[in-house]
Amino acid sequence: MKIWMMTSAAALSAALVITSCKQDVEKPHIAGPQIPAHFPAPHYTAPNNPYSNAAFELGRHLFYDPLLSIDKTVSCATCHAQNHGFADHNVPKSFGVKGRMGKRNSPAIFNMIWNTSFMWDGGINHIEIMPLAPLQDTLEMASNLDTIMQRLKKSEKYQRLFKNAFGQGQMTDQRMLHALAQFMGNLVSGNSKYDKYVTNKASFTTNEVKGLNLFRQYCETCHKEPLFTDYSFASNGLDMFPKDSGRMRITQLESDRGKFKVPTLRNIAETYPYMHDGRFDNLNEVLNHYSGGVHQSANTDSRVNGIQLTEDEKSDIISFLKTLSDYTFLSNPAFSPPPK
Amino acid sequence: MKKHLLLAIAAISSILFFAACEKHDHDDDDHDHGTTGAVTLEFEHGWGPSYDAWAIGQQKVHPVTGDTITFTQLRYYITNVQLQKTDNSWWTQPESYYLIDASSTSGSMVKMTNVPAGEYKAVKFIIGVDSLRNVSGAQSGVLSASEGMFWDWNTGYIQVRAEGNSPSSGTGKFLYHLGGFSGPDNALQTKEISFGAGTLTASPTSGPMIHLKVNTARFWHGGVKIKDLSVIHMPGAAAASMAKNFADGVVFDHLHP
Repeated sequence: MKIWMMTSAAALSAALVITSCKQDVEKPHIAGPQIPAHFPAPHYTAPNNPYSNAAFELGRHLFYDPLLSIDKTVSCATCHAQNHGFADHNVPKSFGVKGRMGKRNSPAIFNMIWNTSFMWDGGINHIEIMPLAPLQDTLEMASNLDTIMQRLKKSEKYQRLFKNAFGQGQMTDQRMLHALAQFMGNLVSGNSKYDKYVTNKASFTTNEVKGLNLFRQYCETCHKEPLFTDYSFASNGLDMFPKDSGRMRITQLESDRGKFKVPTLRNIAETYPYMHDGRFDNLNEVLNHYSGGVHQSANTDSRVNGIQLTEDEKSDIISFLKTLSDYTFLSNPAFSPPPK
Repeated sequence: MKKHLLLAIAAISSILFFAACEKHDHDDDDHDHGTTGAVTLEFEHGWGPSYDAWAIGQQKVHPVTGDTITFTQLRYYITNVQLQKTDNSWWTQPESYYLIDASSTSGSMVKMTNVPAGEYKAVKFIIGVDSLRNVSGAQSGVLSASEGMFWDWNTGYIQVRAEGNSPSSGTGKFLYHLGGFSGPDNALQTKEISFGAGTLTASPTSGPMIHLKVNTARFWHGGVKIKDLSVIHMPGAAAASMAKNFADGVVFDHLHP
């Protein structure tokens, strides 16, 4: 009898220890980003920002909330729309607060955890601080962290969402940035027809196969599979004398003038217009540029030299590029505006 | 007897309960088991090689260039503070990040409360934020981007931020945002400062102070004229050189026991 009581007391104490710690471990974690088996390991592993459903939800609310801009008119989603691969609504350059026009084409937002740098010029080195530039740029959301945090702290909704995500007393700008990184980090696009083709779950048409082969011959050196970028900075010879100094703005090196980050081509059919300044309205214009339209500026990359494509070849490449649209991603309700 | 045992088990289980949870609240304080003391680093800002009285808002004339200069702001990071014991071993303060604001005496202090008791003969620190924190995403406390000491478009901390007015500048202003944490543009400056023949004692009953002097005229060291250089707002050779000149003007003055 004595022994039985002792055992049960010991069990009770063990149970107490376990439950007492459980509340410290926060909410049950989702797996975080769903990483396709044929993708490499991501660059960002959220070492100080463990993925959780609650932090993702907070990030999602923040992403869709115009409260973040100085006059409460512009949210992240204003220029990064899900059905366009989180690029802008097919405008060359985006409009920030008070109709101010930005300087470059809004990049698509997905597969960000593989990025080694952010923005066209690669000036930003980490996904968690990436939002600071659009939040504070006077041509974009024109706000500042103090104003944003004051507004969030006044909101019962955000008090609740921050508490759910990070616990009591954690309404800080660091946590806000963590939450946005969780939302963006979960935006993984890897379920296009191309992905199904390379994993033997779908077949390509003859034209798509031809397009893929041409792609691998002419485009692959920069737009490397499976993420369709090698994350390098390159000039594709858009201009003899580039108006936008590009990467040089960051490095101050003349050899970087007019260079921009090689963008991914996933969901490319949804993110027109193209290039850092949105100068090409459609994929035909892009291929016409690469096929005979390249300017030999001082920094033009040798990889874009001497490409000549027939009309049929262009058409096949475009057929292939369209297989990179990931409709489950583009319409995934988990990434859509949160319910009010 | 049975009752006793049960009570004992209950007591143990409650200890376990608290111990298990308490751990999470103190994970960045390794030093609460040994005896510790407080040590303060004070940065006294002066003007010129003799460290004349100086303050934000006070008009000064540069001793070499003759430029008239009035600071409106001077802030800089002091991080990774280390103290050298008399046995030559170094104590490194964990999570050691401070933002000095020269507009007040209290803002010009680095107050450390977790220094292990002992005798110390030198101090070492970085002027600026170490490269690791420049590449590790969103930070908190004085490293929050809300301090205005962080570039959002070209990632990196502004290690030293000096601004003010001068009629020698075309705009009437000067603005030096000194940063850069890697390669040839590295503006980080490590200072190691010996206390000379003196030593300081950290203990629970003492509060010694290391008094340092900072020459704010050093931004224009070597005869840099404001009309030639009134703005630095990104990493580069100019920023790295000015950061070094500024750091060279930080010197040991005396110890308070």
